[in-house]
Amino acid sequence: MSTAIQIDDLSFAHTGADVPALERVSLKIPTGESVALLGPSGAGKTTLLALLDGRLFGWRGQVSILGAPLDPDHPPMRSRRPDTGFVFQEFALVERSTVLRNVLNGRLGRMSPLRALMGSPTKHDLEIARTALADCGISDLADRRVDSLSGGQRQRVAIARCLAQEPRLILADEPVSNLDPARAGEILALLTGAAQARGATALFASHQPDLARRFAQRIIGIRGGRIAFDVPTSELNEDATAELYREVEPIPGIGLRAVS
Amino acid sequence: MAFRGFGGFATSGLIAAAILWSFANTDVELSRLMSAGPRIADFLGRMFPPDPTVMAEIKKGSAETLRIAILGSLGAVILSVPFGILASETMVSPAVFRSIRTLLAFIRAIPLILVAMLMVGAVGLGPLPGIIAVAFHATGMLAKFYAEAIDGVSRAPIAALESAGAGPLVRLRYAIWPQMAPVVARDTIFRFELNLRESLILGIVGAGGIGFYIQTYVRSFQYDKAASVTIAVVVMVIAIEAINVALRRRFA
Repeated sequence: MSTAIQIDDLSFAHTGADVPALERVSLKIPTGESVALLGPSGAGKTTLLALLDGRLFGWRGQVSILGAPLDPDHPPMRSRRPDTGFVFQEFALVERSTVLRNVLNGRLGRMSPLRALMGSPTKHDLEIARTALADCGISDLADRRVDSLSGGQRQRVAIARCLAQEPRLILADEPVSNLDPARAGEILALLTGAAQARGATALFASHQPDLARRFAQRIIGIRGGRIAFDVPTSELNEDATAELYREVEPIPGIGLRAVS
Repeated sequence: MAFRGFGGFATSGLIAAAILWSFANTDVELSRLMSAGPRIADFLGRMFPPDPTVMAEIKKGSAETLRIAILGSLGAVILSVPFGILASETMVSPAVFRSIRTLLAFIRAIPLILVAMLMVGAVGLGPLPGIIAVAFHATGMLAKFYAEAIDGVSRAPIAALESAGAGPLVRLRYAIWPQMAPVVARDTIFRFELNLRESLILGIVGAGGIGFYIQTYVRSFQYDKAASVTIAVVVMVIAIEAINVALRRRFA
């Protein structure tokens, strides 16, 4: 089976930060797997996902995405970017544009730069956007402006935009933390289901162990920028989860602590 | 808030000194102001009733002023699109946006009437120098507004489009433009209103429009005709203001 993500000895610190955001991270995710990245806020989940999306630079180690090495100093080639889809916590939609326009935005990386700029999607582009809308159950919202939608509907639009990219790897950063529990389950079912139906790999960050357990085949625990555990979902034990969320003892005189 | 400490004292002193210096060095003869009353009354008397026979000149002059404002604004918009992008902190390198911003500040610092006089010298009398002057002068402000509109939008959708593989210009078109469009519309309407007000006087230096008639009638002591032109100008400014308020609501 081929490998979707291969990380060897990855370390990264944000500019000006004393503590590294990621420290000696190594992991391997085979194609087609749905994996949850579990950990408290500030554990390094967002950093790891942004880095895998090719938006962070100056890291050390080796990272390969879909068989191609990532350059620690430069963004990936434009032609490769659509292969990795990203779903954001805060949706990151263009509020004043329509749902269909936002989903078509996912096609921009697949079009020639001139066609993208002229805003003339081909029949093929439109067909893919319509299919993505249908898969996310929002075909009837196509002509609505995003600023008139609810949170759950917005995240469906964001997932449809991601699917319109025809990604082989889907990264999602806390995709449901802005939604109520019922919506959260629906959205994660949609995300992981759509990935599986397309044979795509899914890696989503979550700080809720129960959601991770329900929708991932494998769970990677991350804390303080290091991998705490990496197990199939069936083997996840309560002690390891509890340890992941254990509050860091406040250090006298520093006044900083991790919050679970 | 009351001035406090030495800094506050120094500020008050400076303002007082500026006022005293202006009085001391300007020939302000209060006696002249006293005797001016009857003369002002005389002017007003001669302005009344306004002479309606200049309707044709008023129509011709205001139409020309309106055309100068419209074409000048169009020119400013066309110039402000590239200059706005080049003055944006988020689109280009600091070296580029800093130098463009400095250039725009210089352009803003040159009064419209001065630009118009130079343009009359360069291209001759008529509305053309007025249009060029308005376009040039307004770009100093409008390009700065456009740059601020570009920099003021939410960054998240831009990151999302970058992640999907969209280049900088495509991101400008589909992530930045839809967010900034209402701001651009508002700023452009505002600048058009200013352009119209400022181009009313362009005729005085021969750069076209209704200002020519104000100048002609006042200089030749035909105050009743000047009064008609003044009324026409007021009506025009109020009408444009009303239209702009309606337009702004439309783009909210």
